[in-house]
Amino acid sequence: MSALVTRIEVHPFTLEQKKSPMGLTSRFEAYHLQSKTKIPKDVLAEVFVDRITHQLVLDAGQDNVFKKSPSFCVEVSFKPGVTDNTGASAAYGLKSRGFEVEVSSRVVHLFYQDLSLADLKSFSESFLSNPLIQNIKIARASEFFAPERFERADYPQVNLGLTEELVTPFDLAISFAELKKINEERCLAFSDDELHFLQKTFNSEEFKKQRRLQKMPEVLTDVEIEVIAQSWSEHCKHKIFAAEIDYQETPNLPRAIGAKSISGLYPSYIKAATKSCNKDWLISVFSDNAGIVRFDSTLDLCIKVETHNSPSALDPYGGALTGILGVNRDILGTGLGAKPIANMDVFCFAPPSWPDQSVPEMNDFMPKGLMNPRRILEGVHKGVEDGGNKSGIPTVNGAIHFDPDFCGKPLVFVGTVGILPQRLPDGRTSDQKGTKVGDKIVVIGGAVGADGIHGATFSSLELNESSPSTAVQIGDPLTQKRVMDLLLEARDLGLYSGITDNGAGGLSSSLGEMATLTNGARFDLSLCPTKYPGLKPFEIMISESQERMSLSVAPDKVEAFVKLCEARNVASTVLGEFTDTGFLEVFYQTQQVAALDLNFLHKGLPKMKLKARWEGPRARSTWMPMPAKKSLFATPIKDVLLNLLATPNIASKEGLVRQYDHEVQGATRIRPFTGPEGAGPSDAGAIWLGRHGGDINGVIFVSNGLAPRMSLEDPYLMAKWAVDEAVRNCVASGAHLETLCLLDNFCWPDPVASAKNPDGERKLAELVRTCEGLYDLCTLYQTPLVSGKDSMKNDFRGKNRRGDPLQISILPTLLVTAMGRGELSTVTSTEFKSAGDQVFVIGAPSTGLKLSEVSELFELNAEFNFVPNFDGEKNRDLYLALNRLQQAGVIASAHDLSDGGLLVAAAESLMGSDNSFGLELKISQTGSNLYDALLSEGPGRFLVSVSKSNIEEFKNGLQGLTIEQIGSVTTSGALVLNQEFSATRYELLQAFTQEFGR
Amino acid sequence: MKFLILTGEGINCEGESDFVLRQAGAQTKILHVRDLLERPKYLEDFQGLVFPGGFSFGDELGSGQVLALELRHRLQDALQEFLQKPRAVLGICNGFQVLTKLGVLPFKKTDEQSIALARNDHGKFLDQWVELEVNTKSHCHWLQGIEETLSMPMRHGEGRLLLPQNASSEMKKQVQEELWCFRYKKDVNGSFDRIAGITDPSGWVLGIMPHPEAASFRVQSSKQERLTPAQVMEPLPSFALFKSILKALKQT
Repeated sequence: MSALVTRIEVHPFTLEQKKSPMGLTSRFEAYHLQSKTKIPKDVLAEVFVDRITHQLVLDAGQDNVFKKSPSFCVEVSFKPGVTDNTGASAAYGLKSRGFEVEVSSRVVHLFYQDLSLADLKSFSESFLSNPLIQNIKIARASEFFAPERFERADYPQVNLGLTEELVTPFDLAISFAELKKINEERCLAFSDDELHFLQKTFNSEEFKKQRRLQKMPEVLTDVEIEVIAQSWSEHCKHKIFAAEIDYQETPNLPRAIGAKSISGLYPSYIKAATKSCNKDWLISVFSDNAGIVRFDSTLDLCIKVETHNSPSALDPYGGALTGILGVNRDILGTGLGAKPIANMDVFCFAPPSWPDQSVPEMNDFMPKGLMNPRRILEGVHKGVEDGGNKSGIPTVNGAIHFDPDFCGKPLVFVGTVGILPQRLPDGRTSDQKGTKVGDKIVVIGGAVGADGIHGATFSSLELNESSPSTAVQIGDPLTQKRVMDLLLEARDLGLYSGITDNGAGGLSSSLGEMATLTNGARFDLSLCPTKYPGLKPFEIMISESQERMSLSVAPDKVEAFVKLCEARNVASTVLGEFTDTGFLEVFYQTQQVAALDLNFLHKGLPKMKLKARWEGPRARSTWMPMPAKKSLFATPIKDVLLNLLATPNIASKEGLVRQYDHEVQGATRIRPFTGPEGAGPSDAGAIWLGRHGGDINGVIFVSNGLAPRMSLEDPYLMAKWAVDEAVRNCVASGAHLETLCLLDNFCWPDPVASAKNPDGERKLAELVRTCEGLYDLCTLYQTPLVSGKDSMKNDFRGKNRRGDPLQISILPTLLVTAMGRGELSTVTSTEFKSAGDQVFVIGAPSTGLKLSEVSELFELNAEFNFVPNFDGEKNRDLYLALNRLQQAGVIASAHDLSDGGLLVAAAESLMGSDNSFGLELKISQTGSNLYDALLSEGPGRFLVSVSKSNIEEFKNGLQGLTIEQIGSVTTSGALVLNQEFSATRYELLQAFTQEFGR
Repeated sequence: MKFLILTGEGINCEGESDFVLRQAGAQTKILHVRDLLERPKYLEDFQGLVFPGGFSFGDELGSGQVLALELRHRLQDALQEFLQKPRAVLGICNGFQVLTKLGVLPFKKTDEQSIALARNDHGKFLDQWVELEVNTKSHCHWLQGIEETLSMPMRHGEGRLLLPQNASSEMKKQVQEELWCFRYKKDVNGSFDRIAGITDPSGWVLGIMPHPEAASFRVQSSKQERLTPAQVMEPLPSFALFKSILKALKQT
């Protein structure tokens, strides 16, 4: 193409300088434009420049803004084919002015000190760019600003090379060793058993006969093997949760469950728990993209939580952004399409200070090739910020949990709540899809690229300058917002009959699954719009390019649907139709490239047989030498408290969370932070249903719970602690226990034993015990599980930074999300409301500090070295009683006791309160018992405040349960404990906000 | 009174804007921006036009930039005609940014930007409730009978009001004394004179960075107390903005 490439720069009139590890730095934007014709300067100015603050620079000589004479420049641009939202927006703007242009955006960073090129390169790769998706150009300023830069501009061209064959046969009649090798090279991820099974099936005479009848080649095509690989992947089929498990345990351990054989964890525990709850408000569970429940007379609610761990490890921003947009699409694809009304996010990272600069040898022990935790935190945070804010969905709840073992893999959980009108304008119910034979297959959203083919595998390391980055993707919130608006409009116009999102596995999964609704589908991949030429059919089939949805549209509605898409700037393509042939029939133009039996695809997978072995509590792995800790007893309690408030797990996340919009849509009732100054953390998020057309007094609450560290003692307990924390947070805030539904998200280290994973049986036993704990408490609390997901290979296998072999497995982690119904009259926040109110701890006393937050910071005496007791029945009774008191309006504030125990909860409630308030705590325990009373983290407890006039009713309501009056709200502006210490509210806040700021 | 509320292309506060206007007694229509661009005459049926908050076109290239570009070239005549009459215009957050980029604020132009809403001086998007001082002497039709102080959430990354470097002292004075409607009580983003919202010389156009539509009823209050059914829809002081403009329109 004889195209013209133009460089333009947009210089600010006032160049702001910021501090960085490389001295002062500033930045400006530049663009490379590829067009057929020259674009007039006034058009460029109108598209690219805010004329009050910036100027357009098209040639040298206008650089007078750089009076401060920079020393070095670093230009960061996207690699070919990587989503460039700014570039796309610019191209859109220019197109609306009549110019067809491709635009590549870039950022120029300026430095002013004399630096070594090597230092600057390393800094740029670590902090300014991600080499997987971006290119950097470093030059001395004098060279960089040479006038020729405007004449020698290049454009990042995708070059996939020449394609010889569209489709290649995949012959299974080869030796097993050869097959295994190909399996690895192509990232097909079949197990040995599956490979044997595939060989047996597809080398059979019966199969060949069938193929001849279908006029297909006797050997499978590459499209077909890729579709089978996607459909049978752990990600799509949850093979470990379906496996036959032989569970053994060492005799005489606490909480023994006995040796057993389990025919699938999913049916035996998850589904069984839900079934035993027998709730009539469950509308759709285990069948759709998200669970659907009914708590309102006109609206249904749906909820889903996903993980995006590996993508976030490779590119934290893109990984988290595509994660949040992906779970939003899950909600959009639930029933006939739900509207997202709230986002939630929970992250598990290694400590943000690692590697500590003051301990130089720490860096040596960090995993080589992985980003530092702080960088992951910042990128993931920005991704969730952009994903939620730009989609207009409030982020109302979340948590960030830190533990060294998440150095192996960061965990990024993203969740969304959606609403479905029970009846659509045309009278259809909205909870079921109505796809019929003959309906057209329509795919909408972005074009297909090589993005996300085979997901985030190590193939990413083989990238070169001109190949598109396939491992990591950047989301496009604008395209997705357009898709979301369009779908809700089309749904209410009755224009489509069924819908699902394109997630992992791309079309292969979305259409492969939708095809089961009618028992067949036939479509032509060549009709799919692609981002660039040269994609093979199998690549189009499994590409995970973002922001796409698959729909079924009745033939008489196709024209109207496509027209609406055009009017809303959303691309749509009719690919084919749904059939009842029992086959997935895929074409590329006239050539058939796949004919797969749907029954085989979805039910043919042989079950795995796995072994699990539980041998009791284990010690933490010691891949990082840890410094000695101070003795707890030798530290004054005030210092213990201030240390706890500043530790990342407890410290206020306000500085991060306020960058999420938590009240767009105008319906947020409980925000992440509460109180007159918004300084106190809330226990749950709450959304007012009245704004969304539901009950004018109705509220839904969402909260989360997790306790990964407890897995070291017993994953059975971890599960109960996670469930209880999620339930407790919701109940404290005003949700009724009998309306609570839960979601289970498991993130596990590889639980399949092998030579490279020798402790796999232990990890699988941990999974079994977690399921036991989850089942036991869900059936006791009568809280059904309505949706869940698992992510199974969260390990790092490689070297540390000094070259020694290193394996890090994450702590087995169950995240429990709770959603429940309450009323505006039961909403209870965590801060104290009035001076003079009496303060109580309700719930059974807790002793034991093992695995608590304080044990992470201080050395414990042996007498504390056990984990607190757990009594689910007492907890349930307490929650029901608290619900009744909230309905009676007796509770002024409630805050659950969790990390840091009573002392931290009391400090948090005070920090959220009016700045004149104080809290006088009188704790009767003394000596070592005082430490237990203040710091033990046993579940099932709340800190509540009650006005004096309500105390009698309060006490009556809790008869038979443990109540302890521990103090009163004062006007001293300080937290005062017995004769031990006094800390001003300001001192507390200073410690609480020092890690992540305000 | 009929209000047109724009949506689409990344706008995302149309629902709550619609909700509050209906509660105030307006008839409303939420219309996709593309439909209006296709048929600008649609505007003639309305007395009010709302540019809600959001991230139009993802706010790439600067907030409001691309939406303003499209409106300037495809809606200019209809918009100018609308602006010449006693008709209400409201831009909230991203809507204010669009009105600024177009030039509708502060001087009712559609082809020349004269002030900017630049990136906050701390560089971050921030969601927090802020106290606003109200210009009780303002001629703005949205501000009649309003309390001296309002409280509502700010939720933006680019809300720092900037005048041009070469702005005349007359212009500065006009903005500082006549056109300003709201001031942050505490500096939150480095805005010129701590200004959070302005009007035009006619008083019919209002641009405001924080979100009054998310702070109009007690259920939306930042005070997260329990509410009896009777308290849920009690108006908060910000609601008076919407009552004020409807009253003013009725008097024309």
